[in-house]
Amino acid sequence: MTTITEVRDGRSTGGGGGGEGGGFAGAAAAEWTKLWSLRSTWWGLASAAGLMTLMSFILATSTASNNTNEITTDDQGVVSVSGIAVGAIDLVQFVPVTLAILVITAEYATGGIRAALQWVPVRGRMLGAKAAVVAAVTAPAGMVLAVLGTAVAGPGLGRWGRFSFGDAAADVLNVGVYLALICVFSLGIGAVLRSTAGALTAAFLLLMMIPMLLSNSPIPALRHVSDSLPSSAGRHFMAAEPGPYPALVGLLILVAWAAAVMVAAIAVLKRRDA
Amino acid sequence: MITLRGLTKRFGDRVAVSDLTLDIAPGKVTGFLGPNGAGKSTTMRMILGLDRPTAGQALIGGRPYGTLPRPLLEVGALLDAKAAHPGRTARAHLLAMARSNGIPARRVDQVLDTVGLTAVARKRAGSFSLGMGQRLGIAGALLGDPRVLLFDEPVNGLDPDGVLWVRRLMRSLAAEGRTVFVSSHLMSEMQQTADRLVVIGKGRLLVDAPVAEVIAASSRNAVRVRTPDPGRLRALLAGEPGPPQVTPAPGTHGTADAASGAGAVGGALVVTGVPIERIGTLCHHAGVPLYELSPQEASLEEAYMELTGASVEYATGGPATAGSATAESASASTAGV
Repeated sequence: MTTITEVRDGRSTGGGGGGEGGGFAGAAAAEWTKLWSLRSTWWGLASAAGLMTLMSFILATSTASNNTNEITTDDQGVVSVSGIAVGAIDLVQFVPVTLAILVITAEYATGGIRAALQWVPVRGRMLGAKAAVVAAVTAPAGMVLAVLGTAVAGPGLGRWGRFSFGDAAADVLNVGVYLALICVFSLGIGAVLRSTAGALTAAFLLLMMIPMLLSNSPIPALRHVSDSLPSSAGRHFMAAEPGPYPALVGLLILVAWAAAVMVAAIAVLKRRDA
Repeated sequence: MITLRGLTKRFGDRVAVSDLTLDIAPGKVTGFLGPNGAGKSTTMRMILGLDRPTAGQALIGGRPYGTLPRPLLEVGALLDAKAAHPGRTARAHLLAMARSNGIPARRVDQVLDTVGLTAVARKRAGSFSLGMGQRLGIAGALLGDPRVLLFDEPVNGLDPDGVLWVRRLMRSLAAEGRTVFVSSHLMSEMQQTADRLVVIGKGRLLVDAPVAEVIAASSRNAVRVRTPDPGRLRALLAGEPGPPQVTPAPGTHGTADAASGAGAVGGALVVTGVPIERIGTLCHHAGVPLYELSPQEASLEEAYMELTGASVEYATGGPATAGSATAESASASTAGV
């Protein structure tokens, strides 16, 4: 133990990437290192890309075939190429959502949560750093996925595809923002529920099953509920055609969901023994 | 310096830690002992701000853990050997840890070297043995060069070499003026490592004293007497207040003593409850010849068993092991629970 001065030096020099040493910057740097030092992160992102390629191709070719078959009721005519990628994210999102959930539930499963809280005892800072890293990874990942989906959808649609650079850029940006928010939302669910299986089930129900069931309901009130759920809000935010409310409102609803779950998760973490 | 003030933790109806008040001083190795479920780990978790106390406070240098701006520079802890994600390499685990508190990355390689894991630094923690996991945990505890160190069962799974290394490490950390608080079930290990003992049972403080004092207070401290005339010795001692306990010295059973020539022991007695000086004087006045008169100091294990006998949380139905005085005393005490 001859290194007292050396370690303490980190305090004055800021320890390289650690800012003032520790604090939120340190917590985020640690989470960043943790995320990228796991193979599951790389595998997850790679399989998200694979799934996006597959989904966009299927959606594009089925649109083209619907337009050319003998049934006319299913014709969609010429559609936006990047819109296919937006549609595909409905399903593809569950891969990055799983990664976001694992960021916290894997720590509960392995006991790593106690290490995480020893390093960063302030609950809000620990979870906030995770959320920041999840958003910083999933926003660009969502954009890459959208570009990929668009690139695959183009040839798949052929003459039934309409491409404008402006639309595509907006869609790519929107998918990135949507995915980041939905992943932060899922991270919060993971923090509250602690179990990977539980959080995945909850995310699947909230993002997929419940909106699907409610949106087909004959009761208008239930359809309104469906429209106010995070994935529906996200769909209206990303959609080109007008929905029940303006796109910006969809974004705000989504932000509100993510923020509410995070606030709840921090409150739970503060009360709960690790 | 670790300060506990009225520290209490309840889980529902069960009281895990009850009104614990004590100071754990720097420059010493303080052993933390108690039966399973006595509240040792809960206490350590409260010190680290992981569990919220129901009442009272746990302070480090006068501050709760959660308010330390860079806690790893103040407190290093080894809680369990599996704290690292099994999919992460040892180096990545420590690097993330270092970044969280702004500790320079070169320090990671230093502590890896200190604990002897340099060769496997890029192997995933999931492939580590229990002993290697312990070493990684100890590396993490040392990372921030903290003044306060907490170790929960640090020698678990270590080979004899590793046990010796941990013992020397604890001693040298304490010699550097650090506060070393270490829990263990291995009494012989504690006897060699600790300066002071804190013993809890069922969440309550039983003892907070130097190791030597704990052993000296044990009723198992005895005197071994060898005489050609054990009958007269017994008669002499029967007149003493108490009366003292006189038993044949162990060696009448057990293969080890038989092999080493137990016959030569003939007439050796173990006497408890009379000071050694008194036995010597009595025999001198009565003219009883003595071949041997030697103090038999209780082991820490025996002293500990006496202390915690009544507060064993998970008592077994009967003696799990037979033969040794220790096992007998443990089963005798648990029978009364």
